Amino acid sequence: MSDFASKAKVLRDGQKPEFPSNANTLEYAQSLDAQDKLRHFRDEFIIPTRASLKKKALDGIIPGAQTNGTITDADTPCIYFVGNSLGAQPKAVRRFLEAQLETWASIGVNGHFSSLSNSPLTSWQDMAADCAAKSAAIVGAADPSEVVIMNTLTVNLHFMLASFYRPTDKRHKIILEWRPFPSDWYAFQSQIEWHGLNPEKSMVEMQPDENLYLSTEKILATIDEHAEDAALLLLPGIQYYTGQLFDIPRITKYAQERGIVVGWDLAHCAGNVELQLHDWNVDFAVWCTYKYLNGGPGSMAGAFVHERHGKVDMSSGKPVFKPRLSGWYGADKSVRFNMDKEFQPTPGAQGFQVSNPSAIDLTSLAAALSVFNKTSMKDLRSKALVLTAYTEHLLDEIVRRQPEGEEPAFKIITPRDPLQRGTQLSLLLRDGLMDTVAAALEAHGVVCDKRKPNVIRVAPVPMYCRFEDVWKFIEIFEAAIRG
Amino acid sequence: MSTAAVQNARKQAEALDIEDSIAFVRDEFNIPTKAQIASSRLADSHPAALQASEDDAKCIYLCGNSLGVQPKRTVTRLNQYLTTWATQGVQGHFKPLEESPLPTWLDADAKAAELIAPVVGANVSEVAVMQTLTANIHLLMSAFYRPDINGRHKIILENKAFPSDHFAVETQIRHHGLSTEKSMVLIESSSKDNIISTEEVLSVISAHADTTALLLLPGIQYYTGQLLDIPAITAFAHKHGIFVIWDLAHAVGNVPLYLHDWGVDAAAWCSYKYLNGGPGCIGGLFVHTNNSVVTKEITDEKPEEGYNNRLAGWWGNDKKTRFVMANKFHPVAGAAGFQLSNPSILDITSLSASLEIFQEAGGMEALRSKSLKLTNFLEATLGQMKEEDRAHFRIITPSKSEERGAQLSLMLSDGLLDTVMKELEARGVIVDERKPNVIRVAPAPLYNTFKDCVLFVEAFSAALEVAKQHAL
Repeated sequence: MSDFASKAKVLRDGQKPEFPSNANTLEYAQSLDAQDKLRHFRDEFIIPTRASLKKKALDGIIPGAQTNGTITDADTPCIYFVGNSLGAQPKAVRRFLEAQLETWASIGVNGHFSSLSNSPLTSWQDMAADCAAKSAAIVGAADPSEVVIMNTLTVNLHFMLASFYRPTDKRHKIILEWRPFPSDWYAFQSQIEWHGLNPEKSMVEMQPDENLYLSTEKILATIDEHAEDAALLLLPGIQYYTGQLFDIPRITKYAQERGIVVGWDLAHCAGNVELQLHDWNVDFAVWCTYKYLNGGPGSMAGAFVHERHGKVDMSSGKPVFKPRLSGWYGADKSVRFNMDKEFQPTPGAQGFQVSNPSAIDLTSLAAALSVFNKTSMKDLRSKALVLTAYTEHLLDEIVRRQPEGEEPAFKIITPRDPLQRGTQLSLLLRDGLMDTVAAALEAHGVVCDKRKPNVIRVAPVPMYCRFEDVWKFIEIFEAAIRG
Repeated sequence: MSTAAVQNARKQAEALDIEDSIAFVRDEFNIPTKAQIASSRLADSHPAALQASEDDAKCIYLCGNSLGVQPKRTVTRLNQYLTTWATQGVQGHFKPLEESPLPTWLDADAKAAELIAPVVGANVSEVAVMQTLTANIHLLMSAFYRPDINGRHKIILENKAFPSDHFAVETQIRHHGLSTEKSMVLIESSSKDNIISTEEVLSVISAHADTTALLLLPGIQYYTGQLLDIPAITAFAHKHGIFVIWDLAHAVGNVPLYLHDWGVDAAAWCSYKYLNGGPGCIGGLFVHTNNSVVTKEITDEKPEEGYNNRLAGWWGNDKKTRFVMANKFHPVAGAAGFQLSNPSILDITSLSASLEIFQEAGGMEALRSKSLKLTNFLEATLGQMKEEDRAHFRIITPSKSEERGAQLSLMLSDGLLDTVMKELEARGVIVDERKPNVIRVAPAPLYNTFKDCVLFVEAFSAALEVAKQHAL
């Protein structure tokens, strides 16, 4: 077993792998890259270069497209550790988009029902289902019918809540985390208000500890406390700020056993960690696709609805009504264009569609998903575990190398347990360091996400980042801190 | 058509095309050729497939009411978008590039709002480019349909509404625990062609005035092509305290709209018909200033009482405080406060590219001026067909030009539709069908010509001949 593979195994057991004394060398980093069987996926992406990042005007030059002459420093790809915010562009996107533009221009409205041979695309009417099928394994759906690609994350959240948050006098509370991504909080607030209830009375916010860690024990205790009056529990699979990964199956089961509906916001999970939404019996989930899934800024979102909830009961001849905000596109394909006034939903998650979706948006997403379909979340996660552990190890060494008595330059606020985090590490910098660090990273072609005033989020995503990138980042980061 | 009639119509068309002051705009579009329409392969060489071809080779595309034709510059803009994403990565959100026609991604929604506002006759702050038509209708209803079973709880809509509107209304009513039997009122048309007179609308409003919360109507009816009297109906509904939402799917980009001046409460639309944004392209909504005020600061007492509550998300928050990540929704005033999510930049780029052309063509009044001539010419030329052919169809769209947009709906005699559609396509004519008997023909002022209208009528005549034979 290779060094890489044995480390992945150790991490999957929830243990810390050992790194050798020469871990902080380019040679060691490159040796891990050499053992990485996913390293060729980097070639499927366009990584901005140091020069392209500094571009002031469009000049038609695509990074990596030039093959003449020597590669200068400026042409080197940047260290793009911000795939947790906006994924890098898959090369396939341009190819798929050209095919779509050509199809629209060539056959116009006929593109809805016809596809052209030697095109990577389906007809437009089939594109959303195609992307759902391509997403099923990524989120652990048993079947593509549990997945729907539509709208944006927050709108999907609202449509899910409209169906699954059905407060009664007794059960009306939503259990959430203290500082969710603001969009989720606003969604809860406005949904509660839409039902004529009071957000102050119907939201149960769970506080993390002083390290911003929200333990499973605390969550289960809160569930117990509200076992009679909670209607819904909704958490992020991964907390956006700290990078904490929650125990989705355990929390789901515990809440459901107490009669609470469970939904998950998987914005930072989809394409990042292994998910088994069907087996975990999750009621519903939502996610966006422009982070780890690389669909492009604002690309179309996804939702999961468990098979249990997707059945259409036709035993009386008419579909039994289930609360849902509906539109024509959720109607079964066989009757959708009949223009009937009786709504017969498509069984499964796709019955939640309301409008015909953007073909071009789905095109971009289909291209991005086609890369995922060449590998597995298991392999990606194995690489991510090792990449992040390596990053953590080298970061810890920076602090160890600091002079005796000096306050640590930063603290890793992401859980140390590899099974309680995804790819991202959040670093809380010592006061006053942010500007220096940010300037240094920028000057040296490192792209990370900043959460003012003091946090940077570092995400060496497995699809296109290397161990060599991590080593280089550490060199630049340490110099900036000492600077 | 008789040979003489054909020659006559062609001569007229030629003259009208020469006179047409916005004829130049046609060159802005990639109109499918007849060969491309017939092809089942993606062309091997690109961009050869999109190169300018002889006008004669172009198909007769009269289906812009269903899917608009692709603007040439859309290809350019999308390439620029891809380049930006590839070279800038996440910086694309906030870093402007010199001489780029594209806004930063954070500004894309505001820029798109500037482009759509004049098309619908609104202040920039009254429009938002977001989501899809039916999602927007749901979002508007969740904000403005707050029924009280003991007061106002009914929603009035037309009996033959586009099904999505019907489903949206039905499920909104049921969300509030009400029933469609009590709370959904359908306007029945007394005309066999489902033309709804303004009087019919007003009389239904009067009959339910005190118990009605909302009126939802299409600016242009999708099936018949009828243009409703938006200002008169809106004013009347307001007199009775009713909130009015207009579904403008077939109206936007087709007829001039003055939503602000008409006092329209709210409206929503899609962008893939007359706006040529591409299939399923990002839609839009309008909220009148009166309905989107924010009268309190987030720091005031009970700030939630300072605005109309709506289903909210972070993108409707005030931009200045959006990234502060605080725990309280406080919308920006205006339609922008109804946004929820960061939009698809790819989609919004596609739409914005198309909207540039509307400006260059001189705006909606210029387009309408040509459209009136085009559709009237189409109608007149249809009238030149042989008696025995005219016996097999009739135009169900109102004959008064102020009561219709670009589209004419033709109701065929039973059993002819399938063959007619097949024969039309074989002759390079693309129109839209509504089974069992209707074809919809929509000469779009941005890219159709008077010659297109004549060629359509010739092809239609031939198609009818074949269809009649088959039906025998």
